[in-house]
Amino acid sequence: MFIRIKDAVKKYGDGEAMVYALDHAELELEEGKICVILGPSGSGKSTLLNMLGGLDSLDSGELTVAGRNLAGLSGDQRTVYRKENVGFVFQFYNLIPDLTVEENIEVVADISREPLDMEEVLSALDIGKYRRRFPRELSGGQQQRVAIARAMVKNPRLLLCDELTGALDTKSSKQVLRFVEQMNRQFGTTIVIITHNEAIAGMADRIVRLKDGKVVENSENSGKIPAKELSL
Amino acid sequence: MMKLSKRYARSIRENLSFYIAATVLTVVTLLLYFLFNIAGSAILDFGEDFFARNKLEDAHFSTYMPIPGKELSDLEEKYGIVLEAQRYINIETGDVAARVFERTKKVDLYEVTEGRDVVREDEIVISEGYADANGVGLGSNMKIGGKEYAVVGFMQRPDYLYMLENEDDSYKNISTFYLCYMTDSAFEKLNAEGCQYLVRYGENSDTAAFRKEIHETYYMRSYSAAPENNRILMVDQQAEMFLVMSYVLLVILPLIAVALISIIISRKVKSEQRIIGTLSALGYGKGQLMRHYAGFAAIPGLLGGILTAVVSAAAAQPLGEMGLADYEPMRITCKLNPLDAVLGILLPTVLYVAAALLSVRRLLKKDTVLLLNGNADSGRRKGRRLLADKRIHFSKKFAVRSLLGNPARSFVVLLGVFLGCFIMLLGQGFFDSINYMGGVAADALGSYEYQYVLNELLAENPYGGESLLVSGMEDGDGNSISVIGTAADNPYLNLEDKDGGAVSIGDGYYITSLAGLTLGWKVGDMVTVYNPLSMEKGKIKIAGVIQNNVQKSIITSRKSAAELMGLDENGFNCIICDTALPVPESKVAQEIRKSDITDQVKTMAGQMDFLLKIIIVLGIIICIAAVYVAINMLVAESRGNISMLKVLGYDDRRINRIVLRSHHILLPIGILLSIPPAYVAAHAFFLLMMDYGVMLMDVYISPKSYVISILLTMDCYFGSLWLLRRQVKKVDMIESLKGNRE
Repeated sequence: MFIRIKDAVKKYGDGEAMVYALDHAELELEEGKICVILGPSGSGKSTLLNMLGGLDSLDSGELTVAGRNLAGLSGDQRTVYRKENVGFVFQFYNLIPDLTVEENIEVVADISREPLDMEEVLSALDIGKYRRRFPRELSGGQQQRVAIARAMVKNPRLLLCDELTGALDTKSSKQVLRFVEQMNRQFGTTIVIITHNEAIAGMADRIVRLKDGKVVENSENSGKIPAKELSL
Repeated sequence: MMKLSKRYARSIRENLSFYIAATVLTVVTLLLYFLFNIAGSAILDFGEDFFARNKLEDAHFSTYMPIPGKELSDLEEKYGIVLEAQRYINIETGDVAARVFERTKKVDLYEVTEGRDVVREDEIVISEGYADANGVGLGSNMKIGGKEYAVVGFMQRPDYLYMLENEDDSYKNISTFYLCYMTDSAFEKLNAEGCQYLVRYGENSDTAAFRKEIHETYYMRSYSAAPENNRILMVDQQAEMFLVMSYVLLVILPLIAVALISIIISRKVKSEQRIIGTLSALGYGKGQLMRHYAGFAAIPGLLGGILTAVVSAAAAQPLGEMGLADYEPMRITCKLNPLDAVLGILLPTVLYVAAALLSVRRLLKKDTVLLLNGNADSGRRKGRRLLADKRIHFSKKFAVRSLLGNPARSFVVLLGVFLGCFIMLLGQGFFDSINYMGGVAADALGSYEYQYVLNELLAENPYGGESLLVSGMEDGDGNSISVIGTAADNPYLNLEDKDGGAVSIGDGYYITSLAGLTLGWKVGDMVTVYNPLSMEKGKIKIAGVIQNNVQKSIITSRKSAAELMGLDENGFNCIICDTALPVPESKVAQEIRKSDITDQVKTMAGQMDFLLKIIIVLGIIICIAAVYVAINMLVAESRGNISMLKVLGYDDRRINRIVLRSHHILLPIGILLSIPPAYVAAHAFFLLMMDYGVMLMDVYISPKSYVISILLTMDCYFGSLWLLRRQVKKVDMIESLKGNRE
């Protein structure tokens, strides 16, 4: 299994105020698949994503990605893990405002072992014409495409998307999801999407549901449809 | 508003290092001003009170013929003055010299500061400084001229607060010299022969006519006005040194520091635009929001002001007394003026609050939606587009845009470095300039090693060396100036203009550059000078200026000098030479060696020593605090970029290189920018001190001081970065992402 989560626990707060963000969660995901994680607010989606991305560590339990146990990694080792394996796409893009489109992508290419060709990436996401623009000069959809390009350029094994369409209109959302799907198809990237939007689950190979920090559903999607056919 | 005010405590907790550094910077810069101001004012107040209480003389003089008592009264009446004769005798006992004074009733009264006054013939009171320095206690016995006396009290006298044995001496003597008073009957038995006349002028006294009459009737031997008397002058000089330092130089520091903190506060408010937008959307009014943010800004101002007041009140007295270590123990009262304390609290507070209010007001003029999105301050800035079309590494572009696209932030970092290095250079520069002057001052006088001032006018010089005719003169305002008559080819005098060209004086009247600066005389001016003994006047035309910032002199030929002084043109009363000469002791009034000049400079250095040490110690603190607040702001404002780079897999080393290293260029720029102002400020200080009778010093900062100042500033800069590296490490990726989600 590419991702294996066993008896994962993550708590916040102390005493009576203690909350289980992950409550003995269990999950297994195969490599090269698209997984959509659904769940209401506070169900532990973002916590799970942070764990998978090496942004945070579990209090107890096991978390293995590509055979590497993240639970025992130090801060520096997690940094290397992120650099070598993970791409991120966030709801609010998180681009560096003082850098142009091209430079934002270069930030990641610069520390990647074998980055993809910049021109290829720009053209794949159809953002070549904006390359000299700054994030504030782009629409939300365009910015999200830049964020995907930034994640894509290092050809990560795992792409984590946190509510990537949450701030976009329907048209832009569909376009962005198509790029993600394309990335999965073209490079075999494992993609984890967390979202509130049930409709996005249609494009998933696997659908996971979380509730109160527990995995309450982990099923294959037998009726998978292409992103362009989603009813968002 | 009550709920909202809970943010204050949380804000302090979260930004503790900023509040501490900003408060320290406020306290230290204000403290420098306060302490020097309090000490200076206290000395002036003490002097004013002590001098008035004990009837300080306006001048003292001696005559060849004694002035009978009746004639003293007539002169008093005629000129509206207070005039009193005072006999004295110098008695040496072993190595120690006692100057025993007759008690006076009208001028220069002595004040018993400890113990009691004399009652019996075998009792004495002595100067307190000597008693302190030599462990003489009340009840001790002291021998004066073979007779033993009991010390029953210590005293101070207004014209001897700086204990010079001779008026021309350069340094106090409290180890082998003291003043002494005894009963009138005991004094009579000493057969004192020395006599001086002490005078206090009235507001409308015609001093020139009085002095002229004294000279014509009793033949003036010497005349010394209080403003030219080092024993008296030094007290005022010390006070003025503190005050000048506080007003002219140190006032700059609080202003720069307050400006620095104000800019940071204003930027901190801007970084709260989402909260301001939210509160505004929730219905908080402009006034409520302004009051809320005024509260944040007031914290370092109030805290700093109150701490300054407390520390000033506690430290002023001991520090003020330490600054007077060279004087007779003056009982000064260093008090913090309540008005100053209030101003000290209000000034920074008002400015910080104003900075915050302006910032809030500007933000509230923007669209609430923009505020909520955090985009209210993201207008087009030219600096942010720089190099967009250039094919160079993104990190270099990022550095350039970070520097030029955020001019206010870069300015704060630059200002922090500038302030830190400026204060270090200034403190060290004072030290260096004074020490350097020791060597330069001696050279400015000439290449001679020995100077013999004769007690009579000679026509023939059988001893060798170069003969000079030297005398003191006064300008119309009573300022003293020496006249030096010399041969044109005198090899021992450095007669050069400011460009280093040799000056041929001929019979022209040349002035030294110090005389030009202090008296305002220029080439071509026709000026009147007075003989201080006879008050005869002479008019001279200034022919040129000789570069010499040590002596206040008119330099001319011996013939012209003799003409001005009304003396024989072949006469001379001074010999200079590079070796010792066999001049009989009986003919020498004073023998001066070059080392005496160095001593004089050491005296001045001693006077400033206390002040300089404080500046350097506080300078280091200012340097650390100023650089720290600036770098703190840089890190705080870069949190977003730092966290994103972390998420993308950048390690701390690379993040530091991209985000923080870009500002390193400001370090050498700030250091370089601080050098000229340090010179200007030190020169301004020396120029002002020149008005209080100190020679004009050239500003000199030694290579060692440059290295120390620059290294200290760099240490502060990199030390602050090192301290704040923890903050870079602490930037929480998840919190930051959450912030973006929100």
